Amino acid sequence: MSQLRHQGLANKLGGKLVKLGSERLELQHEPNRAMAKNYGSCVASKIPEVERDMCLKEFCALKNCMNNVDSVLSVGLIDMDPRASSSRASIGSSGSGALSHVYIQYPPMRCSIPGSKGVFYDDGNKLLLSPTSDQVFSWKVAPFDPHAEPTSDSISDGPMLSIRYSLDAKFLAVQRSSHEIQFWNKETGRTFSHKCRPESESILGFFWTDCPTCNIVLVKTSGLDLSIYDSESQSLRLVESKRINVNWYIYTHESRLVLLASGMQCKSFTGFQGLPNPLPLGAPGVPYGEPSICLLSSAGIVRLPKFEMLMAKSEANSKPVLAAEDIHVITVYGRIYCLQVDRTAMLLHCYRFYRDAVVQQGSLPIYSSKVAVSVVDNVLLVHQVDAKVVILYDLFADSRAPISAPLPLLLRGYRRAGMGSFGLTSKDDESSGSKQTSDHEMTLYKDGWAFLIPDLICDTTDGLLWKIHLDLDAISASSSDVPTVLEFLQRRKLEANKAKRLCLALARTMIVERRPVNIVSRAMDVLITSYSHAIKTGSYFKGMKAEKSPASCTQRIHCPKSAAEDFTHTGDSRGGVLKIDSASEISNESHRRYSMLSDSDSEGNVGPSSACRKGIMGTETFVAKVQPSSQLSGPTHVPLDVDKAETEDSHVTTAAISPDEIYLFVFAQADEEMGGDPSYLVAVMVEFLRSANLERIRIYPNVYVLMIKLLARSDRFAELGLFVIDKIIEPSKEVAYQLLLAGRRHFPTRKLGIDMLRQLHLHHDYILSLCQDGYYLEALRYARKLKVVTIRPSLFLESACASNDSQRLATVLRFFADFIPGFRSTSDHATYCHILSQMNSSSLSA
Amino acid sequence: MGLSSAATIPSDAVKLCVFDRTRGQREGEEVEKILFFHPPELPLGDQLSVVGLSEGLITFTRIFSPDAACEVIEAERHSHVFYQAEPDIWMVMVVERNRELEAIWRIEALRSILKEVHSLFIMFFGSIRTMLGKESSGSVVRSHLYSFITDYLFDFSSGKKLQLPTFRDSLKERGTVQMLTVGREAAVEIQNNKNSYVFLYCSILNSSGRLCLRLKSLVRVLESCAGSVRCHSLILFHDLLVSTSLYPDDTVNLYTYATMRMSPRALSSSSRSWSYLYRGSTAAHLTTGSVLPTSSSSSEHIHRSRDTSPSGDDRYVIVRPLQQDKWSKGKDGFLVTERWSSDAQTLNSSIPTIWLKQTEEMMYLCAHQHKNVTIILLIPVTSINSVERDIPIVKQQFLENASLKILKLEEKLSKGWGGENAYHVSGYRYLLVDGDRNVSRASPAAKVTTLAKESLVAMCKLREEVDLEKSIMKLDDERCEKDLEVCIRAKNNAWVIARAMRGKELYMVLEKANETLLYASEAMDKFSNRYCNGAFSLD
Repeated sequence: MSQLRHQGLANKLGGKLVKLGSERLELQHEPNRAMAKNYGSCVASKIPEVERDMCLKEFCALKNCMNNVDSVLSVGLIDMDPRASSSRASIGSSGSGALSHVYIQYPPMRCSIPGSKGVFYDDGNKLLLSPTSDQVFSWKVAPFDPHAEPTSDSISDGPMLSIRYSLDAKFLAVQRSSHEIQFWNKETGRTFSHKCRPESESILGFFWTDCPTCNIVLVKTSGLDLSIYDSESQSLRLVESKRINVNWYIYTHESRLVLLASGMQCKSFTGFQGLPNPLPLGAPGVPYGEPSICLLSSAGIVRLPKFEMLMAKSEANSKPVLAAEDIHVITVYGRIYCLQVDRTAMLLHCYRFYRDAVVQQGSLPIYSSKVAVSVVDNVLLVHQVDAKVVILYDLFADSRAPISAPLPLLLRGYRRAGMGSFGLTSKDDESSGSKQTSDHEMTLYKDGWAFLIPDLICDTTDGLLWKIHLDLDAISASSSDVPTVLEFLQRRKLEANKAKRLCLALARTMIVERRPVNIVSRAMDVLITSYSHAIKTGSYFKGMKAEKSPASCTQRIHCPKSAAEDFTHTGDSRGGVLKIDSASEISNESHRRYSMLSDSDSEGNVGPSSACRKGIMGTETFVAKVQPSSQLSGPTHVPLDVDKAETEDSHVTTAAISPDEIYLFVFAQADEEMGGDPSYLVAVMVEFLRSANLERIRIYPNVYVLMIKLLARSDRFAELGLFVIDKIIEPSKEVAYQLLLAGRRHFPTRKLGIDMLRQLHLHHDYILSLCQDGYYLEALRYARKLKVVTIRPSLFLESACASNDSQRLATVLRFFADFIPGFRSTSDHATYCHILSQMNSSSLSA
Repeated sequence: MGLSSAATIPSDAVKLCVFDRTRGQREGEEVEKILFFHPPELPLGDQLSVVGLSEGLITFTRIFSPDAACEVIEAERHSHVFYQAEPDIWMVMVVERNRELEAIWRIEALRSILKEVHSLFIMFFGSIRTMLGKESSGSVVRSHLYSFITDYLFDFSSGKKLQLPTFRDSLKERGTVQMLTVGREAAVEIQNNKNSYVFLYCSILNSSGRLCLRLKSLVRVLESCAGSVRCHSLILFHDLLVSTSLYPDDTVNLYTYATMRMSPRALSSSSRSWSYLYRGSTAAHLTTGSVLPTSSSSSEHIHRSRDTSPSGDDRYVIVRPLQQDKWSKGKDGFLVTERWSSDAQTLNSSIPTIWLKQTEEMMYLCAHQHKNVTIILLIPVTSINSVERDIPIVKQQFLENASLKILKLEEKLSKGWGGENAYHVSGYRYLLVDGDRNVSRASPAAKVTTLAKESLVAMCKLREEVDLEKSIMKLDDERCEKDLEVCIRAKNNAWVIARAMRGKELYMVLEKANETLLYASEAMDKFSNRYCNGAFSLD
């Protein structure tokens, strides 16, 4: 019946299965062809819309679409974005460029041990444990390394219900039965068994804790036992017990929260939270993200108010019982949420834990009766296991709309054998047997999959451990709502460097594409606010510190200014406006610095000027452009290059982008790419200034210099004047010199520049500019008034001589003779006296 | 037509004529030269004698100075002020000289009236020469000039006489804009506001451009279209200019027009005493609303009449942009004008168009007013295919995107504004002119009136001197800007000072500073340092 229905639908939709623009559709599984068609065309037709708006409406439509497809395929279908696909082209995964936002990277960590009695996850120590009859193997899963070798400890044989190392990894506790827990001291090898009264209670489980008052908590049907395990005396000393009837419990170490389910339907919950004592204030990962919680931590265990979960009833009288696997405790942005699967209503209820309350905060729709939850970099991943798709939510915002469309999990880096059609001949020599097993291993969403907190998947049947990654590229490419995407990216900590690069690229692209100004404005707001926040919380500088030593860090903070100065000075001297001593000195010095730098880095160095002129984009050049910037930002800084970019990922802790970086990688590059009428770019830069102004962030003059260049290029001198007079362009030496440069074509603008020099009390430069314009008398007057003595008299004399007016030359000569002691004996005096007499005689003879 | 009050102006006081030297070369056809004469009821013979004398003087002085013919002829009883508006098209103003104090004026101030009316005419209709080229009989030009200049002069009418600027207006400068001084924060806000208007239309095009990206055939068209669209905007607060994206010349023209007819003050049509430029305290408002066609029936009538008269017919409608009460505020905040249809080629009748001198573009003019903030949006005519369809879209977009911003802007500006006397500096009566940017600032008119007649007359004379000096400098060297400082002691012991430095001029009257020249000079320096960033500090 259902088969028929699909057939009809497929026929209906089949016509649409042609090329949809650049979207390519490929089907892999022969037998399910019709259904694949069906599903594929549904997805293909809906994805652009979902992608565009991330809107729930299209999403629901897609859901309907998917519900019609019972058997789910391992489809890797659509290659939407040529950019995304090109970045993934080398990976050659099973999905062959499949669109997905979440991926697991091949190879997985292999944790199968012959004779294993199952796999346990110790989330307190982030260890994966696999006990055999006499040994327990443990793999460290954080940081995740697929080639990590296990360590082993020997234990005695016996049943094993659960196994956990103590937090200092000195002891090992194994729950042998519902009445007995056995402790091992790893150093001494001594053992000790703790038993409870079997007639009245049974042990549900246990966990180690870093509470100040106790170090192990036993969860029994009669309540919690907070105890201290003392290895010296080989005893378990009870500190405190909380009497509650417990049906089952949930504990996650990252939240330090234990939830005890009680009641007939198991829907009443009591939460306890054990807090470590020396809790660093404001550190990342503070429970609730509220510092006030620290006051309570001295008590060790905080009891949260009792609360009940909502459960929809399928029938009037039925009383569904809540199971432990329906409750997930997650930690996102330092907040603790509890997610409850309500299968009847097909909703995922979301509760947030506060210190004094538990508040329901909306529900997320689910499309599968089996749901698993992971958290990657504070993003909530809801795996719709039956549908084999993942939906991403960012719980930071109030909206409970998904970040992106439900798309399958992608297996990256695995080349499926026997896929000759894809031209992968290298694997042909593999035996068919291994092919089958490996294919089986690589099946996504198998029954044996266990989702470990926070972002691991354990394949219990094959003994594989996968780590889930977010594909930030794909996520950012999937939505056209750039400000929202930027917000999302700015919150990413795990791949902060990548997020940062994506942000810069997005911002630049949206400017190059000339998106509406108000949208760009929002995007700028996002970036600046995020930066401001990072500065305030100190995470920005922390990221810097992680990158390099503290000494160079301070230098880096202060140096964008000096870098900018250097930059504009060289620009000026190259332009040839100022053929004067001081400027050439500065440029000489900066040249010397540059040359020193380019000596210091040995390979593939790109000179600052040549790199700046380079206009071609692409990832390579992007990275190449990082180099001059880092050169500019300080002599001690090691230039980033392609190889290092990846390794530095882990060092940068925030995706916040400084205004200087926005200038370098967004405005300066957008200017190169856009060409034409720069009024749009100017408008965007004004928006940027507005944002920065709101957050009281200082903007370095290079932004203003660029604005002046742009305005001057389009001959909009009137506006430029307005910008300068209204101080939108803040006065600075660089700006003044750029105005002088621009003023070569428009005299009033030059005057603005000269006036700015005067207002900045840059007497030397002011007088020089006046002399250049032939106002040497005014310059002299000014020099005398403010006692500027740094300028050679010959400059004035030359200028006066050029006017060919003997009176004026005489005036200037007289001025110096009167006011500079010893001027009469200089060569200048003699020269110009001679010129003067010549002038006079020629005028007399005439 | 319309303004019957013009007929009652006494003919002897002021005469104004526009004539074309190239026309009416043959004897007996001299009357062809005259394109406009005020007062119109003057006998033709008298008109011809004025024009003839003027032409004779021009021809004569050209012998000595071919490039710049005479500027002014001062006869015993009359002064002739000449202005060559376009090649061979001259505007001459003849004013009567008498011993009365009221008749002391500055020639440059009179000439600036001629300049202003001509540049406004060009802004709305293009040059007179082109108009003559299109229709050689001159009847179109004559009827346009007649209605336009008569409407313009209406602003100067006081009772039955024309009240031209006298020495009392010597601390005012026509042909400049008055800027509102704003802090940086507000300035950024304004720019950001302005950008959202300027790019409004671009964004409309762009969004449709994105939609059409899939229909590849249209992309190129739209790109070229969106690339070249350059909207302009002008923001006014009260009668002060806040922001502009236009070139200085166009800014001055549009600003002048806006303050004449579109600003809240002009709209409320009650002349307020603090107005900087126009009408001052002397202007009385005549015949308010009597010629205002309010109902839509009149515009319908025009539509009909246009429909029935194909092009070439002489029953065209003359646009009168300077007509009193031309504009009124609509419900949505946009200013609407009842009648606007220029001749022949334009299809629309409701959206005004103006001609930008600098970019040589025709622009549609949309004005939006919220309280005291007036925003003028200029959209290139070439970028709009169908006025009836596109302009409402632009307006809608404008309201959607910008109305909140305007609200905020108004709030901010109102909060930061010091009121009518914001730019008053106690003890000083001043005029500050920035010739580079056509910007001026002056003491409030109400404060200027407190000066003694003697000081003002002295200032008037001083300015005349400076004007002369400037024109000589200009003859010497176009670019060179010499510094100039004149301090004179008026009869009433007031110091009257003029200082010109590198393109900026500062005039001031110090009545209380009757100590020494040094004292006056120090007061000047203090003012310069405090309010002009030290631009006028000499030593």
